[in-house]
Amino acid sequence: MRNSLLSIFFTFLKIGAFTIGGAYAMIPLIKREVVDKRHWVTEDDFLDGLAAAQSCPGPIAVNISIYLGLHIRKGWGMLVALLGTMLPSIITIILVAELFTRYADLPLVSKAFHGLKPALVALIVVPLIEMTKNAKLNLSNFWVPLAAMVLVGLLGVSPIWLILATIVFCVGQSLWLKGRLS
Amino acid sequence: MSMLTMFATFVKIGLFSFGGGYAILAMIQQEVVTRHGWLTASEFTDVVAISQMTPGPISINAATFIGYQQAGIWGSLVCTFGVILPSLLLMLVITLTYLKLRKLPWFKNIFQKLRWVTLGLIGAAVILIGKGSFDGLFSVLVFLASLAVYWRFKVNPIHLMLGAAVVGMIFG
Repeated sequence: MRNSLLSIFFTFLKIGAFTIGGAYAMIPLIKREVVDKRHWVTEDDFLDGLAAAQSCPGPIAVNISIYLGLHIRKGWGMLVALLGTMLPSIITIILVAELFTRYADLPLVSKAFHGLKPALVALIVVPLIEMTKNAKLNLSNFWVPLAAMVLVGLLGVSPIWLILATIVFCVGQSLWLKGRLS
Repeated sequence: MSMLTMFATFVKIGLFSFGGGYAILAMIQQEVVTRHGWLTASEFTDVVAISQMTPGPISINAATFIGYQQAGIWGSLVCTFGVILPSLLLMLVITLTYLKLRKLPWFKNIFQKLRWVTLGLIGAAVILIGKGSFDGLFSVLVFLASLAVYWRFKVNPIHLMLGAAVVGMIFG
């Protein structure tokens, strides 16, 4: 059967195993597998799911697997898709954690991490610059990311408070606008 | 270390994981390093670096790693389940209602504004990861070289990280 639980599992296992380096690299891969190759969902359904996955908290890969699994084979489809997506990363990290506790103190390993860490900073700075360019910041809103950066990065405020404050502010703003209109 | 504390902490991280991997690094760091001391700042940076070279999202990698270090296989499964539980429940609700919700202006407004906050949170991650990464001329040079290579040539992040590891082994 083309949409058997087993084939759902292996498709998402493949997606989970090859998604190294962030969600945006894997979206085309997921689309190719579930839309173009297997025709499990239509392109419109896929794009709707992607939009939902991006606005829901949590990793996009996990979110979209839940959505697609549900679409393909209801509850069981969801569980199988989720398991497939997550299994490669769980197994790899358990192996790495085991090796890391044993070999982290070896000079060669700590030297490798000495080179890795600054490269990691560069890996975060580049998309940050690109996202800043695309965010259409102007004089009236550029203080928002700046304040968030200082509050969280330098003053140790929890991002949870900023997210909650933003949601409360937006709901308040919408209610106020609605009040003025009516 | 109680399993329940770890579970609750990762449920919280999962619930507030807006804006993707880099945007939630600061929150994970605050919870696992500052609040609970499950990892040192330097170990946390190691885990993030590892997570860039292995499959899967950062939050899941961090949950599995910390769970395993603190309480073995069961710990890793409990933490990993905790971090995806909010996604699981919310995606179920969203899949059933979101397609209507998405068109509402007040709902769109929230995500527009959250995007600005997210940008700042990634900036905070640069500060926090930077703190644990820069310790002299060597690290500054590696940073600048990586920045130039990644920016100009858009190399695959995994290749960049492997290259940096080799440079570290030879010159670090």
